[in-house]
Amino acid sequence: MNAVEMKGITKQYPLVRAVDNADFCIRKGEIHSLLGENGAGKSTLMKILYGMTRPDEGEIWINGKKAVIKNPYQAIQLGIGMVHQHFMLAPVMTVTENIAVGNEPVKGIRFDRKTAEKQVHEMIEQYGFHISPTQKVEDLSVGEQQRVEILKALYRGAEILILDEPTAVLTPQEAEDLFRIMRKLKAEGKSIVIITHKLKETMEIADRISVLRDGRMVEQGLGLEQMDTNTLAKLMVGRDVNLSVIRENKGIGLPYLEISDLNLTGSNGKKILDQIQITVHKGEIYGIAGIEGNGQTELIEVLTGLRKPDSAHIKKDGREIKGNAEAFIREGIGHIPEDRMTRGLILEMTIEENVILGYHKRGKFAHKGFLKGKEIRRYTEEKMKEYAVKAGDSQALLNSLSGGNQQKVVIARVFSQDPEVIIVAQPTRGVDVGAMEYIHNTLLDLRDQGKAILLISADLDEVRSLSDRIGVIYDGKIQKEFLPDTVTETELGLWMTGGEKSEEVKDR
Amino acid sequence: MTGFLQNISFILVSTIVMSIPLVFAAVGGVFSVRSGIMALGLESMMMTGAFTAVVGSYFSGSPVIGFVCGMAGGMLIGILHGILSVRYKVNQVISGIGLNLLALAATTLLMQLLWNNRGNSPQVANIEGTAVIFSGIPIVGSVLGRLPVNAYVMLAVAGVSWYVLFQTRFGLRLRMSGENPKAAAAMGVRVHGVKYTAVAICGILAGFGGAFLSLNHMDMFVRDMTAGRGYIAVAVAILSRYNPAGVVLCALLFGFCDALQIHFQGGGIPTQLIQMLPYLATLLVLTFGVKHIHAPAGVGKYDDD
Amino acid sequence: MKYREKIKGMVLPAVSLMLAVLASGAVMALCGYNPFEAFGAILTGAFKSKSGLAQTFTQATPLIFTGLAFTLAKKTTLINLGVEGQLLFGAMAAAVVGTIDLGLPGVIHLPLVLLCGMLAGGIFAALVGLLKVKFGSNEVIATIMLNEIAALLCSYLVNGPLKAEGAVSQTEKILKTAYIPKLVPKYQLTFAVFLAIAACILVKFFMERTVKGYEIRCVGMNGKAAETAGIPVGKMMVTAMLISGAIAGLAGGCHVAGVDHRFIENFSPGYGFDGIAVAALAGENPVGVIFAGIIFGALRSGAMVLNRTTSIPIDFINVIQALVVILVAAPLLVKEIISAGKRNKKKGEEKS
Repeated sequence: MNAVEMKGITKQYPLVRAVDNADFCIRKGEIHSLLGENGAGKSTLMKILYGMTRPDEGEIWINGKKAVIKNPYQAIQLGIGMVHQHFMLAPVMTVTENIAVGNEPVKGIRFDRKTAEKQVHEMIEQYGFHISPTQKVEDLSVGEQQRVEILKALYRGAEILILDEPTAVLTPQEAEDLFRIMRKLKAEGKSIVIITHKLKETMEIADRISVLRDGRMVEQGLGLEQMDTNTLAKLMVGRDVNLSVIRENKGIGLPYLEISDLNLTGSNGKKILDQIQITVHKGEIYGIAGIEGNGQTELIEVLTGLRKPDSAHIKKDGREIKGNAEAFIREGIGHIPEDRMTRGLILEMTIEENVILGYHKRGKFAHKGFLKGKEIRRYTEEKMKEYAVKAGDSQALLNSLSGGNQQKVVIARVFSQDPEVIIVAQPTRGVDVGAMEYIHNTLLDLRDQGKAILLISADLDEVRSLSDRIGVIYDGKIQKEFLPDTVTETELGLWMTGGEKSEEVKDR
Repeated sequence: MTGFLQNISFILVSTIVMSIPLVFAAVGGVFSVRSGIMALGLESMMMTGAFTAVVGSYFSGSPVIGFVCGMAGGMLIGILHGILSVRYKVNQVISGIGLNLLALAATTLLMQLLWNNRGNSPQVANIEGTAVIFSGIPIVGSVLGRLPVNAYVMLAVAGVSWYVLFQTRFGLRLRMSGENPKAAAAMGVRVHGVKYTAVAICGILAGFGGAFLSLNHMDMFVRDMTAGRGYIAVAVAILSRYNPAGVVLCALLFGFCDALQIHFQGGGIPTQLIQMLPYLATLLVLTFGVKHIHAPAGVGKYDDD
Repeated sequence: MKYREKIKGMVLPAVSLMLAVLASGAVMALCGYNPFEAFGAILTGAFKSKSGLAQTFTQATPLIFTGLAFTLAKKTTLINLGVEGQLLFGAMAAAVVGTIDLGLPGVIHLPLVLLCGMLAGGIFAALVGLLKVKFGSNEVIATIMLNEIAALLCSYLVNGPLKAEGAVSQTEKILKTAYIPKLVPKYQLTFAVFLAIAACILVKFFMERTVKGYEIRCVGMNGKAAETAGIPVGKMMVTAMLISGAIAGLAGGCHVAGVDHRFIENFSPGYGFDGIAVAALAGENPVGVIFAGIIFGALRSGAMVLNRTTSIPIDFINVIQALVVILVAAPLLVKEIISAGKRNKKKGEEKS
């Protein structure tokens, strides 16, 4: 008997059909990988199973019984648990409070904290999670927070566990830990769905796969025998793709962006960046690999003038750059922010207004404090063509554009101003494969034109395939530099968690 | 010497008395904010409470019924703000301000309709009872014995509120709803119910604070009776780090400024300048005291969007 | 396309106003007044006679100013509840400078008086902006506190050092050279109304066409993105508050120089707070503020006429204003009421 059967599920959103007549089955005690590109409908399908979204059509059967799931609470009652990509936790509350809420042991009207802590502690022991039930969630690492989310589901007796892109925020080592936990849960007879677009981990952990493309289920419950990542990629995208855009570097130039003696202390007195020293040459992409939260955000902020470091020498072509963000922009340091929604774009403004953002004082767009409306429009229309931005017109609001097109607006803005140094952070986060290929190629073009590019990305594959050199950041320090073809993923992962030091800890 | 002691005890008593309405309103505000709804409408709940208390006392002749009416009036506004916030997802800043404007306009209008006087209501029966049992004790008694009964009610309310928020199941659910409504809803917490309960409690408490102004400090309603006290209560709630126990301490600070203001009135310094004290204190506290205090993460967020 | 969006943006405020009027009409009916008669009387009172019209625009003048002041601060996400206090300070500054005999002709004295009013209001408001930016203090509470402080300070001045002779708490009359010329003889209406309208248009132009206006809008819509683009967020917030306060101060200055010719205690019935309703009704559009100000000015002037003939209190205008603020903030509620209305209408049609 199947643990879950979803039949003919359809979900229509105002503009797109997110899921189109999809069938999906999960067997008891298996790990099932749900594959698909960004926007293929994976998350929507699973949100329907978890009761966060109602389908327009289709039926759901749980353990052979037809079920109507209107909200997550009902899903939990049916033994379904989901760990979201963005955790649903209250950071200022304790592990126990986060886990127990809604199912609290009580004494009269009192919340029986002692009993709850004991229960949580037992589960932590059982799965070897190494967290304390009384810790505040905000003091946990991302990987540990994920465990709290898993515990939340198990505490409610979940038999079917949905994990949405669980490894996106983890190091290779943490991911291994997660896989160990998943195998343990499977051995206990639980069914697990893992939503992912990572093919290697699918090959490693999954028993069967299903593939969604443009909302349609193109493969359902396929065994993984005689499969390889290339076949999977073809299934997922629907055409042959070249996953690794490698283009020979024709020659790296002289040192151009020189960063040295960069230190930053946080408001709590903790060192955030520690003696950072990086040199980026002309015609080079320098990639920074690391787990999120190890100082990357702050490094970007310092290198774009958004944050004052304790000390820093930032030299461009031998000349020291100092000042605020405006000064850095004026000096020709381009910046593709890591989160386009918060730092990159103003979603309630038009494309015109976004394309000039940061460069709006330049003579091209303004004269004596007045904006040149006509010139700005002409320029925007030209750039929309050049960068293939799909939108109604230059006056369309940014929030009416798709993620990929929004990112293209950011890229058009920065690259058109011909910066000599570009700080690029998470350039392809949340964009589809087409836009990703386009952005990668543009970056390589710029490199070939002799720009100095600093790439910061959480996507290890992206860093490895684009960079000419890789620096691994951990705990605010550049631990080690590598040439991409001389280092394995495991080795990178090791340095991302502190290098040999962490190895010693593990051995003990 | 006795004069000095008398002055001290006078200031002590009025410090506590002046802080009472603030404590009630601010504890109410704590419930509201902890559940994820901003408390900028406290002023309207206080003012409505002060008004309906006088109306209740006027028609019944009983100040106790007046207090009950005050709480009911405050609760009504609290629930109204709840409906606007939870169901209609309003901008909570603007709706709070709108309610404050509405309360000022509506109470003035109703005063004219009821009593044909735009400035103040007629005198009504008020509560003057003090905790007589303490008055026999020397020195301490001179303070305790002159405190209104409501001073002790205030302490009880603050204590019970702390217990409810941090020790009970309801409190845990309320705080989770305020921190992350989506997570709370997914875990089976009836977030809407929790929030409505929280704003109702907020309204009742703020209404009680308002009733204290009109029936304990005075015996009538005056136009714009709260004169910004609701906003001061918001500041007190923030400064207390949204903790009822902290509210009592913080409110005493403001009560002290009020007490000084009363004490020094008629002492040669122009009244208006002394009356500025509590407002200046609030401004200074806001400026230098609350920088690292964060409201619950889910304030203004909803479980269903 | 844009035109249609503009129309759409006007629906919510318009329906909100209608609902607020309906609600207050219902209250009037409950209290035993005939709402149709009352609103009829208001409309004729506000528009039919010359004196009514003059009164409408006189009333609208401060409302346009304060509505604009609130709107401008809101563009950077700041809620300037301190318009009332800034208005009082502006008025006080104007009253003081207006009484000083510098031997200046009117063409210089009057602008100087108004400028001082603007300066007083502007500095007062910029201070709040500064506190917000430097210390993160909540501007809503800060401005309310400053309102009380401003009211008390002005009260002290008109009862103490600046008190004119006589029983009334007021300052000396300002000089004739500081008077704003009357538009129509014998009525209170002055050229100040044009000043208010011009201010709105100027602000509109400033926001849409200039670099500074663009930067202010960026800060308001996404502060982090503005910061990333090298726009000094804090400075823009203080600038917006400065302008907002200056406009509020100008409102006070115009009242002193145009209407009362001196600072009289409690002269403002809460113009600063009325501005919130004006801004809400205008959909926070500077040009919309002109019309919203005239609408509320008309309600007020009509209600004054009504107040003379009947016993309906003028305060219900304030109730309407407060309801507009709440309703405009609750588009979902208004939508629900509209669709409920449509359903009822359909039902009614089916029955017949």
